[in-house]
Parts: sequence; structure tokens; C-alpha cells
Amino acid sequence: MNWPQRFEAELVRLGVQPVVARRLTADTAAQAGEHDADPDGFFGPAHLYARHLVAELQTPAAGTAPERCVPGQVMLQLSGVGKRYRRRAVFSGVDLTVRGGEVAAIVGANGCGKSTLLRICAGLTPPSCGTVHRTRRVGFVPQDGGTAGWLTAEEHFTLFGAAAGMVPRKAISTGTHLASLLAWRPSRVQPVQELSGGTRQKLNLVLGELHGPDLLLLDEPYQGFDQGSYLDFWRQVRSWRDAGRAVVVVTHLLHELQNVDHVLDLGAVAGRVA
Amino acid sequence: MTPRPWLHGFLDLCLLAMLRERPDYGYGLAQRLAAAGVADIPGGTLYPALLRLEQQGLASPSWAPSESGPRRKYYEITPAGLAALQAQAAEWRAFRDGVDLLIGAPVR
Amino acid sequence: MTALVVAGLSAREVTRRRTAMLLVISLPLWFYLVRRDLTGQSMRMLTLGIAWAVSTLTLFVVNASRGVDPRLRVSGASVAGIIGGRLIAMSGFGVLLATAYLILVAIDQDIQRFWAIAVTMLITALIAAPFGSLVGALLPRELEGALALLSVCAVQMLADPAGLTAKFMPFWSGREIGTYAVDGTGIEFLWRGLAHGALVWALCTGLTLAVFARRLRLARYPEPVPDSR
Repeated sequence: MNWPQRFEAELVRLGVQPVVARRLTADTAAQAGEHDADPDGFFGPAHLYARHLVAELQTPAAGTAPERCVPGQVMLQLSGVGKRYRRRAVFSGVDLTVRGGEVAAIVGANGCGKSTLLRICAGLTPPSCGTVHRTRRVGFVPQDGGTAGWLTAEEHFTLFGAAAGMVPRKAISTGTHLASLLAWRPSRVQPVQELSGGTRQKLNLVLGELHGPDLLLLDEPYQGFDQGSYLDFWRQVRSWRDAGRAVVVVTHLLHELQNVDHVLDLGAVAGRVA
Repeated sequence: MTPRPWLHGFLDLCLLAMLRERPDYGYGLAQRLAAAGVADIPGGTLYPALLRLEQQGLASPSWAPSESGPRRKYYEITPAGLAALQAQAAEWRAFRDGVDLLIGAPVR
Repeated sequence: MTALVVAGLSAREVTRRRTAMLLVISLPLWFYLVRRDLTGQSMRMLTLGIAWAVSTLTLFVVNASRGVDPRLRVSGASVAGIIGGRLIAMSGFGVLLATAYLILVAIDQDIQRFWAIAVTMLITALIAAPFGSLVGALLPRELEGALALLSVCAVQMLADPAGLTAKFMPFWSGREIGTYAVDGTGIEFLWRGLAHGALVWALCTGLTLAVFARRLRLARYPEPVPDSR
């Protein structure tokens, strides 16, 4: 494949309508022509420029307020949730309501139970007290682990797809597309244990959203990301939110809190208890 | 030449301002930006921005033949583009005045 | 559906651990070669070798998937699908391994009731998979599990087969059917062995599923009440 073909194929893969992709490809060829330049030298690698272009076209106009959809139905509701291990109370009295189209951040010092709370939301750990209401379709991305070292990324897509009732082909194409949104092209042969930490986290993230859940639970999912991947990640969070999904993210990066709708400071809750 | 991060927020403004003067195509706009001393802008930044203006309805494209080489895509500013230009220009002035105020006294 | 995908991928996962695979496949061979001159002894050792190899490999597979399983559950997989799939894969591996050694035995030894030896090895391989997964379910660390399996196999090897201790060991069935095959004892040895084998298999499979059903259980939360916004 030559540059325009690769470019067009990548646009389609990124979800651009085939007709639009064809037009953009023609435009791009003409633009390189204006400068009498070879597209590869002028725009860089086809797939990267395609990604860049798609991202640019999704950016809202400067000077206009970014469109935000109205928060939808409640996806997660915690009231008075607490957890204790034997006599030690980790936290108690946690209240949180997250609706579709909202992002909630859970912050707090190490050991204050952020991951435990997220596992309670996922249903993997039962709360000691309080009530949880939650939508059925949920995606969970743990902080580490959660992958099988000897399988490839595609095999993970198949496995997690099967868990959610997807046929392998659909699971693989969905996984590959979601990976491309994080600027990652999974290798077909490389076992996951040979991936870098950041790339493994991308896999982790893709596996969490493979089945299109209504509520995403993310436990510091950007560890090991480089700057670009980090920006891609938060762009993804915004696009989930704009698509009406609810996101709960455990984080320690306070400068990201301006982008979220709710902040739950678990350290403060725990402090109140003690 | 301006470092790119500075230009990033105001590229749309610059493009709209140039298009208000007269319709132009990509290469011409790049030349004018460079001639004004604002930026030597790479194609990979310029063209996505133009496409975005087109998609947002701030500039409308039309194809015109050129004397040499392939036909060109000319952009013309739309009424919505003029409104956006005004809003962004005001934003820019406020920003510039603010920065001037901050750096003005000690430098002089 | 889930079980079959899990089974296929577990099989692939296992074949990629080349060194471990090689060691596990060759382990029964060393057991066999030590007393190759004595048919009865060599059969017993070979069967035990297969038991140890399959159960240890299953243990590793079960432990390796500790991180993945809860996530698969959250994505919607059932415990039976996940654990069942893994047991299918490892039982399949066990059957393959047993068949390969049966061919070796057919060539290398002269046995009256060869079909009974086939039953011995297959039943042992089929028990070894759920037994290994049960040990893996109860002992979370690989080293602990491997040591437990070693102890079981050692006791099995050394205990008097007529005594009570041996009967409480998981692979006693193989020993009984093996005696029937090699020493030409009465048919009651075969039935006893088959009954013991079926019981142990059902017990190990059931307990494995029970332990994982508990460990991988998901809290059931009610859906939020839809509001009128």
C-alpha cells in the first residue's frame, strides 16, 4: 500500500465514514501537491497523520464552550459504604453518586482504601456496611496485573470478548480499534509479558471497555504512560463521558481534578472516622 | 518566529483573520503566515486546522484551477467565521494586554 | 462458548511455556526409565509421573490466571465457563500426554491386559487436572502448591497399597487398575479402581468449582432507581 491508501485505511479504521475518508485523502494529496512535496515527508507516517487529523477534527472550536451533554441516569450510587478488615476500619460513610456523562475522581493518600473502594464498586469485594446501587454493565481496570503474560493482545481481546458474549472476530476488531485511540497498534505475535509497562496498561484499559460498559472503573490506569499516551487517555475519558458513560477514576494527580465532575477525597473521609 | 506552543491556541484566529482579508488556499496561507513573521507552520498543523474550520462551518471551501499544477482548494470566511473571529480577537487582545501589563514595567 | 474459548487459549498459553512444558513432558519418562526392567514397577512409576506432571502444570495454569479471572467475571463470564474451560484444556493435555506414553509402553513392554494400562493412565491423567486445580485453588503460591503435590505423590508412591492411607490418596485408582493390568489379579481390582477414580474426580472437580465460585463471587447490586430527569 502507498501513503494515500494507508492514510485512507487508517481513517476508516479510526471510525471515519468511508466517503469522508476518501474526500480527506483526496484533499491531503492535493495539499501535498500544492507544496510540491511527497506526503510521507510533508505529513509524516500515514497512520500517525490520520490519527492526528481525526483528533484535530474532534476538537471543539476555540472561543466556544465545549459541548457537554446533560448528566443522564444514575449509574452508580454509594450510600454510607464502609469497609473494615477485622477491627480495622479502612473507611466508612462513603457517599457518591455518578450519572451517565459524568466523571468522578477518587483521591487520597496511599493506603486509604481507594483500590478497595473501586473493587467494591466492581462487586469483587463486598462492603462491610452501606448500600450500593449500580448499573449492570461495568468495566473494571485494576492498577496492575489482570492480564495473562503468555497470551498476545489479540488473544486477550478474544478472551475478554468471549466473557462478554462477543464472537472472536468482533472482539479483535473492537480491541484493535480501541487500541488505536490510545495510539497503540498491538503486535500479532508478541506475548503480553514482553510489552512495556505503559503498553500493558493500554491493553488493560482496552480490556476494560471492550464490551462497551455503561460504567468504567479505572484504578490509576495511566501508570507508565508517556506524555502523549497520557493526553490520549484523558481525551478518551472525555469521549466516554460525552458518549453518556459514567467514569470513576482513582487518581493522585490533582491537576486533573479540574476535568472531573465529582471528587471524592477518601483520605478526608477516613480522617473523619478516626 | 513564534515557538509553536504559543501559536497553537491562536492559529484559528490567524487563519480566520487572513481569510477575512481574502479567500486563500493552504500554501498561500502558509506563505502569508511566514511573511508576517508569525510562524513557519508545518503542513501537518496547517491543513488539519483548515479542515476543522471547514467542518465547523467557519470557512467554506471551493475548488479553483491554478495556472500551474493541480486545482486548489480555496477557503472563504463565512458569517459564523466572522463572528468567531471577533470573539477570538477580543480574547487575544485581552490576553495580549494582560501579558504586556505583566512584562511591561520591569522590561522598560 | 466461554469455556471453549478459555480452553483454547489456556492450551495455547501452556504450549508457549516451552521449558516448563519440556520438563513436564519428560518427567514421566525419567520415572519410567528408572525401573524399566520391571514391568509392574515401571508402570506404577510412569502413572505417578503422569499424575505429577499434569497436576503440576494445571497448578501453574490456575495460578497464572489469578489476575485475569476476576476481570473476566466482571466482564460477564461465569465461574463454570472460566474454570470449566481451564479444566477441559488441562484434561486434554493429560489425555495427550498419557496417549504418547501408552504408545511408548506398547512398543517397549509386554503386558497381558494392555487396555487396562490405557485405562490406568487415562483415568490418572483425568484426575490429575482437577486435583492440580484444587491444590492451586487452596494454596495461592506456586511453590507451596508444588510442594503439596510433591508430598501427595511421595506418600502415594511409598504407602502400602492395601493400607488405609493409600486409599485416601487421589491416585490410588491408577494403582489398583495397574495391578489388575500387570499382575493379572481379579476383576474386583478394576471396579474398585474405577469407583475410586470416579469419586476422586467428582470430588476434586466439585471442590474446585466450589472454591472458585466463592472466591470469584460478585456482589449483586440492584440497579439504580431510574429518576424522571
